Amino acid sequence: MISQKKRSVLISAVILLFLLSSFSVSQIQPFIKLSVKDYPNFSRVVIKSSFPLSFEIEKSPSLLMIDIRTDVLFRIRREAFESRLIKSFGWSKGRDYYILTIRTKSRNFSYDYFTLDNPPQLVIDFSQLSEERSETQASLKEKEASERKIPQALTPSTLPRTQTAPSSLKGTKTIIIDPGHGGLEPGARGRFGALEKNVVLAISFKLKAIIERNFPSRVVLTRDKDINVSLENRAALANNNKADLFISIHTNSSYRKEARGPETFFLSLKATDEEARMLAYLENNPAEFEKGITGENEDEIQMILWDMAQSAYLKQSSLLAESIQKELNSLLRTSNRGIKQAPFKVLAGVACPAVLVEVAFISNPKEERRLQTEWFQNNIAQAVYRGLVNYIQHYSQE
Amino acid sequence: MNGKRVALLVFLLTILIVIIIIFFRSGVIEKIKLPPEVPLPELEPLPPEPVKTRTIVLFFLSEGDTFLHPEEREIAASSSIVRQAKQAIEELIKGSKTGYISPFPPETKLRELFLTKGGVAYVDFSEDIVEKYLSGSSAEISTIFSVVNSLTYNFKSIKKVFILIEGQERETLGGHINLSKPFLPLYDLIAN
Repeated sequence: MISQKKRSVLISAVILLFLLSSFSVSQIQPFIKLSVKDYPNFSRVVIKSSFPLSFEIEKSPSLLMIDIRTDVLFRIRREAFESRLIKSFGWSKGRDYYILTIRTKSRNFSYDYFTLDNPPQLVIDFSQLSEERSETQASLKEKEASERKIPQALTPSTLPRTQTAPSSLKGTKTIIIDPGHGGLEPGARGRFGALEKNVVLAISFKLKAIIERNFPSRVVLTRDKDINVSLENRAALANNNKADLFISIHTNSSYRKEARGPETFFLSLKATDEEARMLAYLENNPAEFEKGITGENEDEIQMILWDMAQSAYLKQSSLLAESIQKELNSLLRTSNRGIKQAPFKVLAGVACPAVLVEVAFISNPKEERRLQTEWFQNNIAQAVYRGLVNYIQHYSQE
Repeated sequence: MNGKRVALLVFLLTILIVIIIIFFRSGVIEKIKLPPEVPLPELEPLPPEPVKTRTIVLFFLSEGDTFLHPEEREIAASSSIVRQAKQAIEELIKGSKTGYISPFPPETKLRELFLTKGGVAYVDFSEDIVEKYLSGSSAEISTIFSVVNSLTYNFKSIKKVFILIEGQERETLGGHINLSKPFLPLYDLIAN
């Protein structure tokens, strides 16, 4: 009797222990808990986690990105909230990192943060900066308009809408956007698997939408899906559509692991002397070129001229490149970067000002992650758009 | 019994002695064979013969900036420029000895190199030079111009460089820089 009792006690103890342990396991399943609370002068976001956090914070207009480096699989708990300043949370997940994005209702905010232990907590206080204190439910469109108007450090023009009216387009009727690579040719690949062809297509769509919203110009993409398009056909498409501007969008890569930042290229004639000779020839015989691109005759000289169409537009291309690079530099604070020249196949045959923008290095894991985020793609598209408008307003010929 | 044992022992001993004699005899024979081979190394005057070398400059990338950086290298001063140029490219592919970055996939092989009378060097690489993960403009520019600049900088008779892949003309390495025309050097890309 006694031994039986003992045994049953033992068994039940074991069962109890087992239950307890499984219960506690479910208790310590990693989690991150988000809460928001408004205080008189600021709004506080508390990110409480069940495991130590290592993070980086990046700020951009109306957005704060928290880059959490961890391979822990965790749950996200968030409380419903109502806040003056905080609009929403967003998550994206990579192999060993998470990005928490906190959207604010105003672009004009500042933040401060501190951390606490036991449990690990990241506390971020958002406060509104002076002017638009009472802004509450600004519509998305208005916000985007105001985003364009915000003067960047290096932007000479604030681009109010009235200035970008059709009258100021100076005959820029057709703009070609060329998303690099596509189809079987994925372009450069990031270490975490991002493909250049997908990123540049997304940015190109965004750029097209921004231009079309503000300009009556026709915007043509050299590809609008994941397909192969030859480099000749991209240039030919521009020429057949009588393009006024040609912008090729790419993401860069390098053997240098640390390489980062945007670079804008235009065609180089220095690299092959055949082209240099052609340039000298065109400079001396400008009329020959005009005749050449009208396509009235069919002799060989004209074929060469067509092939070298870009050589007549180098000066304008360099100005366009400079204008776009300036905006990208001011967006990404990479002021030391200039424009570059190289003998790009896709640019050589384009008969209008043409540039190739390498928006960021997909070979750099940090930039790869950014390239995949909506806000970065949007910011890049906005910056390229601003560069385009500056160029048209300052240099474009009637 | 004893007699038989002794006989067996004697028999085994003689066999052993015979074997020993054969062993040493054959050793002697080998020794006799050896001497003609021994003096040979002494006769070889090859190591002291001075191999003429020349110093060339190869261009590599550096983590710190976007420029090409020079690195000196000794190569055999062969009478053939083509042979020297081949050696230069092979050294370039092998990579830097001072910690610079080589803008080539390590598997890259130089298949052939020939020089026209007009001063165009045709440099034929294996398919491996197309780095699939790094097919971006900067990577392409550094690969191409480390080859072009390294050749034109060191060999006066090489004025231009035409890059071939697997013996064929290629439009681009990875969709950017035009390979269908010979390159002139771009010394702007070199640091300082």
